[in-house]
Amino acid sequence: MGLLQVGASILTSLLIGVLTSAAVWTRFAQTARTYLLLAFSILAVYWFQPLIPLRSFDFWLPSLTLALVVLTWFITSSNGARSSSWRSSQNLIALLLIAGLPALIALSRYFLPEPIFTAAAPPRFVIFLSFVIALAIAVTLTVWLSRRFVWILSAVIVFLVVVLVILKTPALALQTSIFLRTLTNRSIETAASTDLRWLGFSYIAFRLIHVLRDKSRSPQVPLSGSERDQQAGRLPGLSLAEFATYVVFFPALAAGPIDRAERFAGDLRKDFVLTRDEALLAGQRIAIGLFKKFVVADTLALIALNDLLATQVRTAGWMWVIVYAYAFQIYFDFSGYTDIAIGIALLAGIKLPENFAAPYLKPNLTQFWNSWHITLTQWIRNYFFNPFNRWLRRFKSIPAWTMILAGQLATMLLIGLWHGVTPNFVLWGLWHGAGLFLHNRWSDFLRTRHPDWQQNQRLQSGLQIGGIVLTFHFVALGWVFFALSEPTRSWQVFLKLFGM
Amino acid sequence: MRKFFLIVLVTILSASALTACASGSDDAPAKAVEDYLNALVAKDADRLSTLSCGEWEDDALIELDSFQAVEARLDGLACEQTGTDGDTALVLCSGNIIATYNDEDQELDLSVRTYQVVQEGGEWLVCGVR
Repeated sequence: MGLLQVGASILTSLLIGVLTSAAVWTRFAQTARTYLLLAFSILAVYWFQPLIPLRSFDFWLPSLTLALVVLTWFITSSNGARSSSWRSSQNLIALLLIAGLPALIALSRYFLPEPIFTAAAPPRFVIFLSFVIALAIAVTLTVWLSRRFVWILSAVIVFLVVVLVILKTPALALQTSIFLRTLTNRSIETAASTDLRWLGFSYIAFRLIHVLRDKSRSPQVPLSGSERDQQAGRLPGLSLAEFATYVVFFPALAAGPIDRAERFAGDLRKDFVLTRDEALLAGQRIAIGLFKKFVVADTLALIALNDLLATQVRTAGWMWVIVYAYAFQIYFDFSGYTDIAIGIALLAGIKLPENFAAPYLKPNLTQFWNSWHITLTQWIRNYFFNPFNRWLRRFKSIPAWTMILAGQLATMLLIGLWHGVTPNFVLWGLWHGAGLFLHNRWSDFLRTRHPDWQQNQRLQSGLQIGGIVLTFHFVALGWVFFALSEPTRSWQVFLKLFGM
Repeated sequence: MRKFFLIVLVTILSASALTACASGSDDAPAKAVEDYLNALVAKDADRLSTLSCGEWEDDALIELDSFQAVEARLDGLACEQTGTDGDTALVLCSGNIIATYNDEDQELDLSVRTYQVVQEGGEWLVCGVR
C-alpha cells in the first residue's frame, strides 16, 4: 500500500465509523457497517492489485480472490443452519455486492476515460459475464459434491496450497506465466517468475484454509440439536457478508494480520460507537505506523542489506552496519504496516490482533517467535506444529529430543517456504528451526542441572541481557539468508562479517 | 426470490445491451498509441507490455530500455488514426519525446513514425511501426 491507498483507507474507515456511530440507535447500524466494510473491501481488492504484464490480470486476480471467497463460503455453509442459507435476504445482498461491484468496475471501461479501481482498463463486460456464469456453475457443482463427499473441503485446501506453492516457487511461477502468455497470444520471451503478483494471496489463502480446516473437523463431543443445526465444525455460522469481509478486509488485505474468523465476526456483531478516545487511539496508532514505515524503514532501506550492497561492501564493520540496518528496516517496515492496519480497523470498530510485541527485546528465540509475526506463527502452530507433534507422538520409539528437533525444523521450514520456495528461505527456516531446538535443549539443561540458578537474581539479570544480545544477533544473521537471493551470496556475507 | 432474480436478469441484459452499443469507439486506436507512449516515457514496463501485441512486446521493451538512462517526457502529444491496412489501424502522432541527459534535451519527433495498431480480444494494441 502506498500513501494514497493508506490515506483513502483511513478516510473510508473513519467515514464508516462515524456513520455507524450516528445511526447506532437504529437496529440496522451494525448490518449496514458490515455491508459498507464489505463494499469498500471489494473495491480495495481491485484497487490495491498492482498492474502485471499479463493483460487484464489486474482485474482477473482480484475477481478470482472473490470467487474463492464465495466458493469457500458456499461449501462451508452448505450443511449449516437455514439462517446461513444463501437465499436469506442478508446473503443475497452480500452476493449482489460481490457480483455487482466487480460488474460495475468491468462496465466502467465503457463510460470512464481512465480506469479508477483497476491499474489498467478492465476486460470487456461480456467476458466478465462469462466468468460469472462459469463461476456459478463451478460453485453449484462443488456445493453439490461437498454435500456428498466430505473430502471436497480437503480438496479445496489442497487446491489453495497448490496455488500458493506455484506463486511462491519461481520456476513454477515462470512456467505458469509462460502457459498463460501462450494461452493469450503474448510473447513468452519476456515471461518472468514475478509476473503473477497476486495481491495478498498468501494471507487470503491462510484465512480460507483456517475456515475450511475448522469447518471440516468432526465434533469432539456430541452436539445438541441447535448446534448440529448450526454447523458440525468449530466455527460459528457466518453470513456471506461477515465471511467475505473477514477474508478481504481492506486494512489487512496486503500484509495481514491473519485474524480468526470467529473473533472478527464477533467484532462485526458488536454495537459500535466511535468515541473520541478510540479515534485518538486509532490516529496515534496510524501515525506511529506511518512514521515507522515511511520514515524509519524507508530511510534504513537505503543502507540495508541487499544483493547489490552485499557485493559492494568490503569491510566487516560496514557489513555489520548493513546487516543491522536490514534487521531494523524489516521490523519497522512490517510492524509499521501492522500498526497502520490496526489503526485503520479500529476506526471501523474492528480490533485486529497484534502482530509484534518488541521482538528484538526478547531474551531467547522461543520468545522472539512468540512476538514476531504473531498471527502467522499462531496459525502455523494451530494447523501444522500441533497436529504434526501429535502425529509424531504416535511413534513411541522415537526419542523426545528427535521429536522436538523434527517439529521445530519442519515448522520453521514451512514458515520459510511461506515466504518463497527458494534455497535461501529454506536455509532461513532451518537456521531458526535449529536455533529453537538449541534453545529448547539449553533451557532443559538449565532446568535439570542448575535449578539453583533461578534463585540468583544477579545471574538471571546477566542471562537476560546476554540472551537479548545473543537472540538479536542470531536473528540478524538469519536475515542474511532472508534478504539475499542465493546461498553463495549469503555465504560470502558471512565470511565478510567475520573478517574472512 | 423470483422478483430478485428478475431484477438481476434485467440489469444484466440492460448492461449487456449498453456495452454492445458503447463498444467500438472511433478514436480507440489513437488512444492506445497515446497510452503506449505515456507508458514508454514513464518507463512502465508492465503497462507497456499490456498495451503491446504479442509480436511487438519484445521490441517495445527494448525501446523502453533505450530510455532507461535518460529522463523522458512527452511534449504536445496528439495522435490520430489516418487509415487502415486490412485489420490494422494506422495511427500518426504529432509532438515530441524529450529525452534529457545531463541537463541536455534531445527531441525525438513522433511524426516520423506510423504506428500499427491491431485489435486483440476487443483491445487495441500497438503492434509495430512503419
